[in-house]
Amino acid sequence: MNHELFELNTTISNMKDLMASDLGPYDAIYLGNPYCRDYEANFLEELDDLRAGIRHCREKGRRVYLTTYAAPRNYFLPQIRKAIAVAAEEGVDAVEAHNLGVVRIVRREFPCLAIHVGGFANVYTDAGAEVLRDYGGTRVTPNYELSLEEMEGMAKSTGLPLEILVHGKVPLGISDYCFLLEFEKAWGMPCPDLCQQDLFLRQGEWAMKSVGKGVLSGRDVCMLEHLPRLGAAGFHVFRIEAISEDPAYRRDIGTVYREALEHAFSDPYEIRQAWWQKIQAHAKVGLCNGFYFGQSGQLYIGNQQSAVGRQLKVIS
Amino acid sequence: MVELLVPAGSVAMVEAAVEHGANALYVGPKGWSRRRDAYEVTDEALREAVRIAHAGGVKVRAGINTHPTSAELPMLLRRLDVWVRDGIDGVILSDVGVMAAVHRAFPTLTIHASIGANILNDEDIRLYREIGVSQVVADTKLSLKELRVRREIEVGVEVLIHANKCYTYLGKCWMSPYHRLERGQDETGKDFFKGSPNRGGLDYRVCLEAWSLWRGNRDRWADRVALKNDAFFLVDDIPPLIDMGVHTLKIQGREYAVDLVGRIVKFYRDLIDAYAADPQGFDLGPWKARLAEIQAQRDLERAKGTLDLFEEARQPVHGCL
Repeated sequence: MNHELFELNTTISNMKDLMASDLGPYDAIYLGNPYCRDYEANFLEELDDLRAGIRHCREKGRRVYLTTYAAPRNYFLPQIRKAIAVAAEEGVDAVEAHNLGVVRIVRREFPCLAIHVGGFANVYTDAGAEVLRDYGGTRVTPNYELSLEEMEGMAKSTGLPLEILVHGKVPLGISDYCFLLEFEKAWGMPCPDLCQQDLFLRQGEWAMKSVGKGVLSGRDVCMLEHLPRLGAAGFHVFRIEAISEDPAYRRDIGTVYREALEHAFSDPYEIRQAWWQKIQAHAKVGLCNGFYFGQSGQLYIGNQQSAVGRQLKVIS
Repeated sequence: MVELLVPAGSVAMVEAAVEHGANALYVGPKGWSRRRDAYEVTDEALREAVRIAHAGGVKVRAGINTHPTSAELPMLLRRLDVWVRDGIDGVILSDVGVMAAVHRAFPTLTIHASIGANILNDEDIRLYREIGVSQVVADTKLSLKELRVRREIEVGVEVLIHANKCYTYLGKCWMSPYHRLERGQDETGKDFFKGSPNRGGLDYRVCLEAWSLWRGNRDRWADRVALKNDAFFLVDDIPPLIDMGVHTLKIQGREYAVDLVGRIVKFYRDLIDAYAADPQGFDLGPWKARLAEIQAQRDLERAKGTLDLFEEARQPVHGCL
């Protein structure tokens, strides 16, 4: 594998985070925060920043995509149209749509733009992917519950490139309500700082990460051990879901996967200890990848059992 | 007249629904709907449900509103052929690919886009219309103002009036299978995906657990954090919903006791009829008092069910493909 044969991408919500992030490991960047309109200086709301952000990525030689709100109500749509218009003017490489209404908007009103169908679009079946391909979808992130076996079948059946989340927090749900706002006074910390505090919901050994309206896995999805299988299956678009992480996470994990992907087809594929060390340093409650193997999402399937739950014990 | 659509998790519930004034009811063929199998019906029971309902002038919809695997789609179409011949009047679907496939195979069959399709805006509705859907269930989080504009689109709108509003948007949540997913096949070869509401129907309701909130690994900020999950039983909104031309008012609750569902159906039947008979003189007061009694029984049943699910969610997984 090399730069031409695969794409490694990630998501960045605002200009501050973009400027603080080393884009070196990545081929492409999704700009915008799909969870919340009030997220600090969200690219989807700050259109001057969006324009500047697209140009910044371009200057760095990166492909750039606009992501969009995952659960848009009618009153979101005018702003989404404005953001897509700016993206189209700036010549972004694609728009990611998690909502079927947004897919339809891009198809009809911005036909020059490629559409990446996002993970919240609930593509569970080959037939679903085909419907969205007919609406202009050029890439699909299947629903995160699907197994690798199902994804392999979908890719073969539809001919669509599938985007695979290889590392980071897997999205688990989205709400219209931010429960963190109930704690603004008690903690003396207002929106939009609250949801950026690396917050975890814990119940015994269970853990989920909260970004207010979004719920993500507590454990980090990790497919480092399985990259050769992904490559052999023909997958070549990989995402590090670091939307709720700091720039150091984005840099370190991106670097690990950049190196690992470039070695993934070498025989034998050997995982370097330094890679595990970096991954473990950033995984606050362990690793997981169970959905990819048809099991509970929080399970980790692989040989690196030492990496699982290493820090699961709740410190009271 | 607005249609009152009610749940039927068993033949006994079908009888209660018909007796108490439903216009339509929905059943879940075993293995294919957004409820656990105990509240779904066999093919034989589905036939009986259709017979009883049609004899009482009540329509029957089959809820096939989980997302099947791609490999299961041909089996679903074969099963649907049987259910259509048995007389169902429509299907409730969530998966956009299944909707398109069903519309191709059964072009005259009425397709309802389920609450699981999470339809949030007018562009969503237009896309679903284009692939063959004739009626959509509005998400529970939409306001009356948002529902009002839907009249401009030629689509039937269905509104839940007695249900639970999850913390997350319904259909866009896989917290439950993240914590526990059990795979295996039932006697027909359908994967039961136990623990995944989107794929198998059963939801462990892990969002309702008593979560603690931590910053990183060391700062415990709060205990017993509630991810807002409210039951709602609309009364005040029913007159405006009827006035704005909503096609269907829907009640959730296949998992409740038959007598409770019967009481709920009768309550809403009487309320709708009373409003229709005299919109100007309609007084909500007595209806609120009557609903409070029903709500208490319903809350008790749901709380017990939730505690059982928490316990089940902690059990080791036995089935695995």
